[in-house]
Amino acid sequence: MAEQPQTGSLKSRTAIVVVFETFRNELDEHNDRRERLIKNSRDVTNLSKKVIFLLHRIMTEDEPTPKPNNDRASRAAAKGREKLKEVQNLFASIRGEVEGDRFWRYQRNVSPGLQEYIEALSFAHYLDTGALISFNQVQQSLSDEHGVPYFPLTLEDYLLGLSDLTGELMRYAISAISQRGGRTIAREVCTFVRSCRADFETLTPYYKELRKKQAVTSQSLQKIEDATYAIAVRTSEYDLPPEMLDDVVAMVSGSYGRGSGEDQSQRKRPRPDDDGGDDD
Amino acid sequence: MDSENLENINQMLEQDAELREKIKDQVTEFDKKTRVMTGLLNKIHSTPTNQLPALLDSVQPVLYSCSDVTAEIADLVPANQFWRWKDTWCNSLRNAVFVATLIEFLRSESLMTIQQVSDILGIQPSWKDRFVLTAEDYLHGVISLVNELSRLAVNAVTMGDFEQPIKISNFVKDIFAGFSMLNLKNDTLRRRYDSLKYDMKKIEEVVYDVSLRKLAPSTRDA
Repeated sequence: MAEQPQTGSLKSRTAIVVVFETFRNELDEHNDRRERLIKNSRDVTNLSKKVIFLLHRIMTEDEPTPKPNNDRASRAAAKGREKLKEVQNLFASIRGEVEGDRFWRYQRNVSPGLQEYIEALSFAHYLDTGALISFNQVQQSLSDEHGVPYFPLTLEDYLLGLSDLTGELMRYAISAISQRGGRTIAREVCTFVRSCRADFETLTPYYKELRKKQAVTSQSLQKIEDATYAIAVRTSEYDLPPEMLDDVVAMVSGSYGRGSGEDQSQRKRPRPDDDGGDDD
Repeated sequence: MDSENLENINQMLEQDAELREKIKDQVTEFDKKTRVMTGLLNKIHSTPTNQLPALLDSVQPVLYSCSDVTAEIADLVPANQFWRWKDTWCNSLRNAVFVATLIEFLRSESLMTIQQVSDILGIQPSWKDRFVLTAEDYLHGVISLVNELSRLAVNAVTMGDFEQPIKISNFVKDIFAGFSMLNLKNDTLRRRYDSLKYDMKKIEEVVYDVSLRKLAPSTRDA
């Protein structure tokens, strides 16, 4: 080694202070950038959550003229994707901040929003295609028009984002049950979430966070399974095709909804028969 | 998940796992070296001042040999992934900073710069996205240095060297002035910075004891 350690080390307080001032600038710059990225990540989270709500809303809203569910799903996906462009623009805007080796320095600050985005994107993708979005597809959505990524997607963010999808699908399945065609949806979602859980299971040894989320996925799956069980048991009592069952349910609940005032009094009627007293 | 996606994922996981193992092996080597050095340097607390240079000379080759490990690590880390892996070796690196700056203080009563430490560890400018000595790691090493010097101030007096605590006191005050320039966040560096005050207090007490009893050779410091 040619370097002589004696040369150039700092002997005076002034020299030390001068050097520490450069450290201050460096640390300040780092902290400021970190703050900006955290703020950006929060905005990404908020927007992505809104997209998830939007998707749920479109999938559960009443339609005057019922159309096949597929139409509705691809319309929801299209609207969701449109809105997700705003999120993608947010990612594009931090491109310079996470350039080169800086990406891994701030990865932890970027990832909360990124995972929420992947959750929303994969939900839209599922509604559209009935499949799980692939790693490359997500990375592509985070790239410019020339296909150059804004920053590298990490496997962990991809998997954790997908793991959150199962919770949304559980909500989707449960609220779908009360709708026309919803029982089929619930059964499809059930099969899909079950295969997701199986896929993730082999990957849990690699990521601690995924293990935690896998427990939530298992709970969600169980809720969907319980709901589809109830449907299977009840429909088995009627030897009718599912569409006809839908019609029966729609007719009954429709007539109930219209004359609600009258129905209310009718339902109360048996009560006074008991002994005519207060219902305490 | 379709099979292509799953295969892709498994391949990435395998690559990462393999790389992690390789880096870990090198970090273990690095760690061994820094432990040898800190083990040797522990003797400063029982070595008379005039025999210190010989002790420091025995540590120096080990310090220089760290450049083998840093080169191996820099070679392993993929482009732009410095921050992904740095946590695996940052303890060893901080210890190396501590060793280098301690030796330098004992030789010349001055603070070795971040650039000098980088040079000694053989860190090349071209590694900047794979292996660098960051300001944070350097500062951690310097705080360890101060922690150690507060111990040395006490033990030097026990060995009859009454001048050392005064030298240490001046040096540590200068370093503290440097640290006061920083805007620290609520992180480990901040907590360790807070510990400097206790070190300074301890050193001050030693200086006080020595001065009051007129044990120090001269009162050249203001």
